[in-house]
Amino acid sequence: MIKIEQISKSFKATQVLKDISFEITKGDFTAVMGPSGSGKSTLLYSISGMDSINEGRVLFEENNISAMPEKELSGFRLNKMGFVFQNAQMLKNLSIFDNIILPGLVAKKESAQAIRKHASELMKRMGIEGIEERDIREVSGGQLQRASICRAMINHPDILFLDEPTGALNSVAADQVFAILKDLNQEGTTIMTVTHDTRVAAKARKVIYIRDGQIAGYKEFAVRADRSSELDEWLKGFQSKA
Amino acid sequence: MILLLHLVRKDFKRNRVITTALAVFLILSALLMATGLRVAGTMNSSLKGLDELAVPPEYLQMHKGTYDEEAFDNFVATHEYIEDSLIVKMLDINNKNIIYQGETLEKCLMDNGFVVQNEGFDYLLNMNNEVAVVADGEIGVPVYYAEELGIQVGDVITLHKDDYSKELRVSTIIRDASMNVALASSKRFLVSPADLDEISRHMGENEYSFEFLLKDGSSTAALQKDYMDANMPAKGVAITGSLLTMMNAFSYGLVAFIIIAISILLILVSLLCLSYIIQATMADENVTIGEMKAIGLTGKTIVKLYQMKYIILVLIAGVIGYLGAIPFGDFFSSAVVMYCGYGTVEWMRWVFPLIGVILLGLIVMLGCRRIIRKNLKRSVVELMRGEEQIKKEGHYTLPSAGLKYPNLTMAFGELKCRWKEYLVVFLVFVFSSFLILLPMNMKNTIENPSFITYMGIGESDIRVDIQYSDKLTAQKDAALASLENDSEITKYAIYENGYVQSQNAVGEWEYLRVESGDEAVFPLEYLSGSAPSDSKEMALSYMNATELGKEVGDSMTVVYQGEELTFTVCGIYQDITYGGKTAKAAIDFAENDVEVYIIYVDVHDGVAIEKKTDGLRSILPDSKVTPVSEFIAQTLGGITDSMSLVEAAAIIISLLLIMLVTVMFLQLITAREHSAIAIKKAIGFSNRDIRIQFGIRILVIQFLAIIVGTVLANSLGEMIFGWMLSAMGASKIMLLVEPVTAYLLCPAAQLLTVFITVIVGTKVVRNYHIRDQIRE
Repeated sequence: MIKIEQISKSFKATQVLKDISFEITKGDFTAVMGPSGSGKSTLLYSISGMDSINEGRVLFEENNISAMPEKELSGFRLNKMGFVFQNAQMLKNLSIFDNIILPGLVAKKESAQAIRKHASELMKRMGIEGIEERDIREVSGGQLQRASICRAMINHPDILFLDEPTGALNSVAADQVFAILKDLNQEGTTIMTVTHDTRVAAKARKVIYIRDGQIAGYKEFAVRADRSSELDEWLKGFQSKA
Repeated sequence: MILLLHLVRKDFKRNRVITTALAVFLILSALLMATGLRVAGTMNSSLKGLDELAVPPEYLQMHKGTYDEEAFDNFVATHEYIEDSLIVKMLDINNKNIIYQGETLEKCLMDNGFVVQNEGFDYLLNMNNEVAVVADGEIGVPVYYAEELGIQVGDVITLHKDDYSKELRVSTIIRDASMNVALASSKRFLVSPADLDEISRHMGENEYSFEFLLKDGSSTAALQKDYMDANMPAKGVAITGSLLTMMNAFSYGLVAFIIIAISILLILVSLLCLSYIIQATMADENVTIGEMKAIGLTGKTIVKLYQMKYIILVLIAGVIGYLGAIPFGDFFSSAVVMYCGYGTVEWMRWVFPLIGVILLGLIVMLGCRRIIRKNLKRSVVELMRGEEQIKKEGHYTLPSAGLKYPNLTMAFGELKCRWKEYLVVFLVFVFSSFLILLPMNMKNTIENPSFITYMGIGESDIRVDIQYSDKLTAQKDAALASLENDSEITKYAIYENGYVQSQNAVGEWEYLRVESGDEAVFPLEYLSGSAPSDSKEMALSYMNATELGKEVGDSMTVVYQGEELTFTVCGIYQDITYGGKTAKAAIDFAENDVEVYIIYVDVHDGVAIEKKTDGLRSILPDSKVTPVSEFIAQTLGGITDSMSLVEAAAIIISLLLIMLVTVMFLQLITAREHSAIAIKKAIGFSNRDIRIQFGIRILVIQFLAIIVGTVLANSLGEMIFGWMLSAMGASKIMLLVEPVTAYLLCPAAQLLTVFITVIVGTKVVRNYHIRDQIRE
């Protein structure tokens, strides 16, 4: 689905990503881990076309999104990708519900009525029904993050990109988000997430460990209910090296 | 101090665009303020200087025909309040006999008189403001002609009538304190006594000007009354010093007044923008301020730190504004300097603008201090938390039917929620639109032929003046006979003008100019009431009515030929001629008392007015025939030229202003909305979409502002213009708007300026990145 071929990125004199290559197949749940400042988020934004790269290319279903014109790329983001950020980012002049349906109404893949229905279903599924008309400042962090996932899912994206989705949440809210992500993946949504949280990474099938802008480790886990202990073991190797 | 300057330098670097825009704004304010005051200072000095050196009379009475010199001397001797007097002999030469570069001055409205230099007072000055001296064969030409016709020293003026021809070399240009301005209908040429004597034997008609200087505290009205009572020669207009001052002030002061008015408005706008910018930047600085407070910096130090930037800016603006005002001020005061010289109190043009920029600096510094202090009142915790950001703005709702035009819907929705942020830019756009339209509408009004209605007469095409001649009746009869048989003429009416006596507000008797004729032929719009319909009614000019406290229905007693005549005031009209004090009544003036016959003529559609005027000039060689549009243009002379300058300056300033404000505003709102921009990009809006949304928001605000500005320019503008002209006798001016320019071209130019600025100013959207929202 997505082929990342030898991408590199620099901010002025500092090189943040160095010669990174890997592949994401349809239905994957990929977690990117690594210490702060290692380039995890930059990798996510480079792959999703939200940030430019200096070298290499990113092929999304054979489309080179690193060379795509900005307008075409924004259409790609609207129709094929969904984004969730660490601090749930929403437009403050829209209610929670309107924030969720906005990308749907812009994309016009379905009728307005169908989009509204879909949004209501997503909210119900995320357990946040009843906050539709609220201001984004009137809900909790967990509710807002779940609303962000609803917005990201409104256009039935091929892939969901998440940047530290539980970073700003308490453990109860984080657990709710884990469960949702797991369900979505099981239903066929491809997920790529940047995370510090081993509980999130433990839900992933592929884990990439980034250090100093390079892939320091890559592991594919067997399909099993609990991969925590195996992941912890694997991560220990990097910590001892550090 | 070094630390403060270092911090300011860093701040300049960080906010380069905003700081530059703010600097241009302040420079523009300082420049206009200093320019206006420099023009005012120059005008003050020039008029004062000309008065001191030329010593114009405080009262002058023109007279044509013979007079008794002994009786005049007796009159002067028996009236103690007369300081000095003078009889100036003026040889009136018909304009068709004066030739410059092969063309006569026939098309010129002015009455031209040839004089020798006066003794005692009322001197004609040269361009160095010295008493002008001309030798035989030389001539001094009024500065009015130097300006209008481009006559220069060394040129030749030819006087020609029948077989006689005399060439006179222009040796000097003349400044004339009494008759300088275009509003004065006579102009004086200076020649040597021998030449005057020679010329008078071949052409011209003698006219005399009886001039007086009064002792301090004496009233010209008293002199006028005594003069008339003593049957002193008075076949001609009487002019008081105050009328001269008013004509001068109106001619030269208008530009200074408008520039100062614009600069005051601009300063208000600058302060408004400054306050907005300070508040916006301070909001971003909250955390830093909180930290500074937390480490123990006092409020005073923090105020100093933030104020320093604005002090430096206003100092730079002050210096540039002051220096820039030198060429600009000199450009705008070139007319008054040309007509009056630099004057005797030249320091005014240096000191006035200096006081202006110092005041501006103080206002800006105090304003900044107040806003910064207000911002610092919050506690450290409030500042660190960034309380500002949790302000609720409200929602807009997405339409349930879907988004047909997403950018339009979002732009309008966001505008609805954040309209307060747009208040400043809205006000600036209103101001700019007002600023462009007001001078333009004023100029249109003045240039329109219907402006004649503010000169006390209904609209007409051509005006024929038959005046001050021994052949007055013969000329009048010839004119009427000719007009009667002219098939190209639709209608005409003749009006006699003469004087009656009336009591002014303080009970003194004054002479009142009365026009008598059929007022129905060229109907005039009255402020109240209507034209006189019978011999018992009298209409008063606005200024007369105001001064005498008369309203429609009041009675009005005047004295003519020793007989008291009582009229009912039937109407009040606007008139800016003859000092604004005229009246209309059916008084049957004796032939000798008619000062002037004025005939107004309307021609058929399709008849060229210019051509008809030329035709009438050849039939009526002793009359002055002028197209009405030309009459207005020449009467208001320099004023329309000044208005053109002001109009051009206003357009440039306004467009620059809206460009600057748009740049500044876009910088601020894009920075404020960086998070929203990043989110929109993440959910699939392109850079172009986001830029369009900003563009729609600003253009909608501007569109509304243009509507408000246009309405204000028409309504408030009429009041301002009326107020300006009320001093001259017209209080209720209807501004004439040229719809294509005012409602189409001007708004289009403003919208286009903002549109282009938005295209450039929103490029920054490309730099806002979702990555900047993430804290790893």
